Amino acid sequence: MKITRRSLLKSSALSGVVAILSGCERMVSEAGHLLGEAVPEVIEPSAGESIDRDFHLLSRAGFGARPGDLRYLRSIGRDAWLEEQLHPQTLRDTACDVRAERFESLSFPAGDAYEFRKTVLRAELTRHALLRAVYSRRQLFESMVEFWSDHLNIDLEKGDCVYLKPSDDRQVIRKHALGNFQMLIRASATSPAMLVYLDGKSNKVRKNTNDRPNENYARELLELHTMGVHNGYTQQDVIEAARCLSGWTFDARRTFALNQNDAFFRPDWHDDGSKIVLGQAIPAGGGAGDVDALVRIVCTHPSTAHFIATKLCRHFVSLSPPPDLVEQTAETFIRTEGDIKSLLRVILKSEAFATSQGQLLKRPFKFMVSALRATAADTHADAGILEPLHRMGHGLFQYPTPDGYPETELPWMGTLLWRWNFALALSSNRQPGVHFDYKPLFRALGGKVGSLDPSSWFAHFIGRRPSNEEVGAFETLRSDFGKQSAGSPEGVAAMIGLILSSPAFQRC
Amino acid sequence: MAGSSSDSSISRLRFASGEGSDGDQTHTLICIFLRGGADTLNVWVPYADDAYYRQRPNLAIPRPGNARDAAIRLTDLYALHPSMRPLEEAFKEGRLGAVQAVGMDNTSGSHFECQDQMEHGDAADGEQAGGGWLGRFLRVKKRVRSPLSAVAIGTALPESLRGAPSVSVIERIADIALKAPIGDASVLKSVLGSLYGADSTLLGEHGRETLSLFQRVSELQEHPYTPENGALYGKDDFSAGLSEVARLIKARVGLEAACVDLGGWDTHFFQGSASGLHSERIKTLATGLSALERDLKSYRARYTVIITTEFGRRIYENASLGTDHGRGFAFTALGDRVRGGRIIGGWPIEAVDESTILGPGGILPKVDFRDVFAEVLSSCHGLSPEECAAVFPSAPLTLIGLMA
Repeated sequence: MKITRRSLLKSSALSGVVAILSGCERMVSEAGHLLGEAVPEVIEPSAGESIDRDFHLLSRAGFGARPGDLRYLRSIGRDAWLEEQLHPQTLRDTACDVRAERFESLSFPAGDAYEFRKTVLRAELTRHALLRAVYSRRQLFESMVEFWSDHLNIDLEKGDCVYLKPSDDRQVIRKHALGNFQMLIRASATSPAMLVYLDGKSNKVRKNTNDRPNENYARELLELHTMGVHNGYTQQDVIEAARCLSGWTFDARRTFALNQNDAFFRPDWHDDGSKIVLGQAIPAGGGAGDVDALVRIVCTHPSTAHFIATKLCRHFVSLSPPPDLVEQTAETFIRTEGDIKSLLRVILKSEAFATSQGQLLKRPFKFMVSALRATAADTHADAGILEPLHRMGHGLFQYPTPDGYPETELPWMGTLLWRWNFALALSSNRQPGVHFDYKPLFRALGGKVGSLDPSSWFAHFIGRRPSNEEVGAFETLRSDFGKQSAGSPEGVAAMIGLILSSPAFQRC
Repeated sequence: MAGSSSDSSISRLRFASGEGSDGDQTHTLICIFLRGGADTLNVWVPYADDAYYRQRPNLAIPRPGNARDAAIRLTDLYALHPSMRPLEEAFKEGRLGAVQAVGMDNTSGSHFECQDQMEHGDAADGEQAGGGWLGRFLRVKKRVRSPLSAVAIGTALPESLRGAPSVSVIERIADIALKAPIGDASVLKSVLGSLYGADSTLLGEHGRETLSLFQRVSELQEHPYTPENGALYGKDDFSAGLSEVARLIKARVGLEAACVDLGGWDTHFFQGSASGLHSERIKTLATGLSALERDLKSYRARYTVIITTEFGRRIYENASLGTDHGRGFAFTALGDRVRGGRIIGGWPIEAVDESTILGPGGILPKVDFRDVFAEVLSSCHGLSPEECAAVFPSAPLTLIGLMA
């Protein structure tokens, strides 16, 4: 193992870690404030009877509105906003970068990440993802990062994945999040993390042996990543795909090889005979090129267009999306050969999308991020704030099986208690790892001293005015607090916490 | 000693939940799901089968004998993995048994599909009954039901409990409390009660469930838990989950079904033999269960444990010293009502013919998993044949003889 300048620097930096961090984080928070994170002086929430369409777009295409987002979207219009989001490099993201680019372990090639401790890597990966989701202006991009991270799920706890996921996050997920689907799958197929997670690295078929290929990745490639189960492949196709992939491996100990940080191809482990995948022949002797042929064949199969279209529509519109929208999206997939931007345009500009307000349940991560955004809370995503995420069963990159965290509602129904406790802790500024001061929001929303009227708060957090039942529910709180401590910080905290705990805020 | 303090809280709880003495006799079915497709051939080792040793030159468990890593002899045909030693006694007492070659008609080899199918209790082809098999049982078997009739340990609701009248998903009993910014939480609960009370969706239903859960368990939280008879649970989540289940059983809260998961069985790679990855999982399983047995020694008439997995693995090992997805597996049951001390059926072990469409090289399934589930339900919860048919509408429901 090399002793590098980096590890030396790291250990010297660690000795002063406490003092440096707190001072540094204070500076980062102040910088963020100056760079546009501050709560505007006036907020005009949408107080219509149903959720405002602009608010809806912010909730669905991203992780929900921060104070000021709604005004900006209104000023340029939904179409222009969407185009900006589809071209994230045009959006300056300095305030977010200052917070999220501090994590040294995330910037190294796969092989070099072994210099870091597992706990550091695990924490920094999660902190980075959370900070990006909370603070990035590139909200659609971050949403797609989340989407593909589930689609191409990798569990850090398996094998060496924790060392390899940072480079997968950069070079597979983030690199192709709004790019081309086939390139995304091709990058994933030989990503060191994926080779370890789904055992591709030990998929070998040596000559003159009885080696049988390891089918694990090949099966998930067809079942979960591209075509979907029962959509036109057979067990024989899985075996043929595994043969195509045999020989691709990764070895962190190859420190003297030039390509030590990448997956590499071992011809002596590759089954170089001819294959037939989904009825298409791959001639013998293709060698390392077999994986390209395989990925092309499965990604251009109509089942893949339909499977990905369905999954995106379910994610952005409804768990039972209208068939014609799915069809239109699948057609776009085929026509553009998997251009992800084009798919998102079809979905997010559709009438079905515009009228689907409040139909999706926020998963715990989105619930937390949207609460942190709406409150303009200050966080550096340290352990204190990751704890509730784990409690709700949504620790990032820690889903054990390759299907990724579920999009369906039922598996998350056991999380309500923890959602309520997070909301109440956040609103009363007791949540470890977060600082929240309600006063700037209170002023921006035109709050009057002593008032516990939930209407404007509700409109700010939910995107519509509360119904009569919802107003009625808060009467208990008003009468109870009203007697002794009208408008006291505790009363306001309880009210905000309850709005964030309400059924309406669990949905988007 | 620990018993006396919890006894008093138990009676208060029973009073609080308005449950009669009937609740005292509730039988609890503890369902353990080994996620990932467990290699049961290396748990219930068919040491009399030469093919097993031929096809697993590196992974087979050595035949019973004096070697330290040898399998533990049970019958003329079968032995136990050495890491199962804590449960050997239960087998000898006739409380632990297995059914060989249990499986389903699904040939996809997909974890998710097979887990779903098993938890739903459906056939791959044919009409689906809707909901999970435990959920349907809790609906079909009509009786006065405690609000804590079904508990899942973990963070996600398992599919098997889908559709149950009431389900609580918890990690620890002690976790359950609403933390108010100031004062007590009653005002907050009242507001949440109105907000979720007005919501007619699944979300509203679970919000109301969560609020009543506070009430149900507040009494149990007042004392730390000391297992009886010196039972030593492991330090892992699986053992922790089992000890919470034991607590709920002792507390007589009317628990009918408890689900606990144990993952990590997808051993494609470097599975190990008498030691190694797979052995460690078995150790976790056996440690937890033997602690539960000891802890609940005075309550043995009141629970049955079943252990299932979505599919077994292939008989032959692969080139990366692991095993790939197969078909049939050995289903395990533990409890007074189990006719244990034997491994039922499936001998000789037959492999699926690879040239057929049934999917490659696993154990040929000979017993429909739904038959086993149905027999367990009728034994533990007194389901009539008609009720069993309502829970598993399209299953053959042939008697296996696993349960008394």
